[in-house]
Amino acid sequence: MSDDHRDLGALIREALPTHTAPPALRQWARDRAREMVDVPDGQSLSVIIPTGGTRWRSARHALYAAGILAAFLVGWRGEQFAQSGRRSAGDRQTLVAQLVDSHVRSLMLQHLTDVPSTDQHTVKPWFAGKVDFAPRVVDLGSAGFPLVGGRLEYVEGHPVAALVYGRRKHVINLFQWPMTSGADESTSQWPTSYHGFTLRHWVLSGMTYWAVSDVSASDVNAFQRAYLSAP
Amino acid sequence: MSVALLLRRPAWDATHLADDETSTTTRFERVVLPHLDAAYTLARYLTRETADADDAVQETVLRALRYLPSLRRDSDARAWLLAIVRRECLDVRGARHSQADSVSFDDAPALELVDVRTSPDDAAHRKLVRDYISAAVGRLSTRLRETLILREVQQCSYEEIARITGVPIGTVMSRLSRARARVAEHLRGVVDPGDLS
Repeated sequence: MSDDHRDLGALIREALPTHTAPPALRQWARDRAREMVDVPDGQSLSVIIPTGGTRWRSARHALYAAGILAAFLVGWRGEQFAQSGRRSAGDRQTLVAQLVDSHVRSLMLQHLTDVPSTDQHTVKPWFAGKVDFAPRVVDLGSAGFPLVGGRLEYVEGHPVAALVYGRRKHVINLFQWPMTSGADESTSQWPTSYHGFTLRHWVLSGMTYWAVSDVSASDVNAFQRAYLSAP
Repeated sequence: MSVALLLRRPAWDATHLADDETSTTTRFERVVLPHLDAAYTLARYLTRETADADDAVQETVLRALRYLPSLRRDSDARAWLLAIVRRECLDVRGARHSQADSVSFDDAPALELVDVRTSPDDAAHRKLVRDYISAAVGRLSTRLRETLILREVQQCSYEEIARITGVPIGTVMSRLSRARARVAEHLRGVVDPGDLS
């Protein structure tokens, strides 16, 4: 019997080719690997920097939309998305809109900070008792992003920490809050801009981070790297 | 979601031999990237659609980068990556939901039943056998197909297949046996049964 199966196995192996990943896909993977920043927080954790627009297959979104539509036509329901811990496109837009609104409000209402301080050791303890987590506060003045202060915000029904950093005459709001358990959001297709504002999203050590600013995308990238690689 | 479940499985955490000397970038390039073709091949067989395979592998790369620190032993990288890409493929197919899990033999277009056992043309015969096998594998249910592909194409051990697909080894063996039987059955018209059974 084993001999017979070996023969069949040989036939099967001959009939089923192995495939080679397209070179563009391999390059894309290598590029993503090079975006990794190792975070020196003693947990040997690394972080992926998901940038929504970097899929090498430009037609992907169209295909994705077609897939959603096809699924919808046979009775697929949006709730299943939520149950699986992923957000629908509409949910993502809502969250992004909230964050950008919060960023704009912080500039308009002269309510940039609740605790104006360039000292991380002042800002971090200020959040104690106001949010049920300890935000990671680091001063990035040496990288060109001085800490301006902190502020309490309300996003998706929860209090979140907003750290305010300066960049020349501009402001970067960095929101952070604990990840919802079971949610797996880091690889979702998040927008990287909204109404002219630049957004960057990442997940680290169970926390969700959002940077929002009107500075250039490269400045926000530099900010993200500085924040992630700060000791 | 799925990978979090995967990572809770003790099999990956049994040892503590993490190579933390290298950065994630170098470790990924050295340990994971060599298995990209294997991941892509599995994705092609599980999704059947090139675009779906592309998507599944991209998600796999992002997840692999993110969860690389949880990979304890570099030697597990291949099975680890295959487990992630398998999960992604099932998610892609699940999201589609428009396709049945497998095409039943009744629904599939009938293959031309030609008895070529006496065909003098060996090359043509071999090509026909390949086409029959390919069609038969394509019609297997996802569970049988993934098991067969992991074994015959990816050359995984039973233990690896059990870990990748999350079932006991006994189940792997029984699925493998059923998958082979289906393929053999499908081949009866083109291969002398004496050669196979």
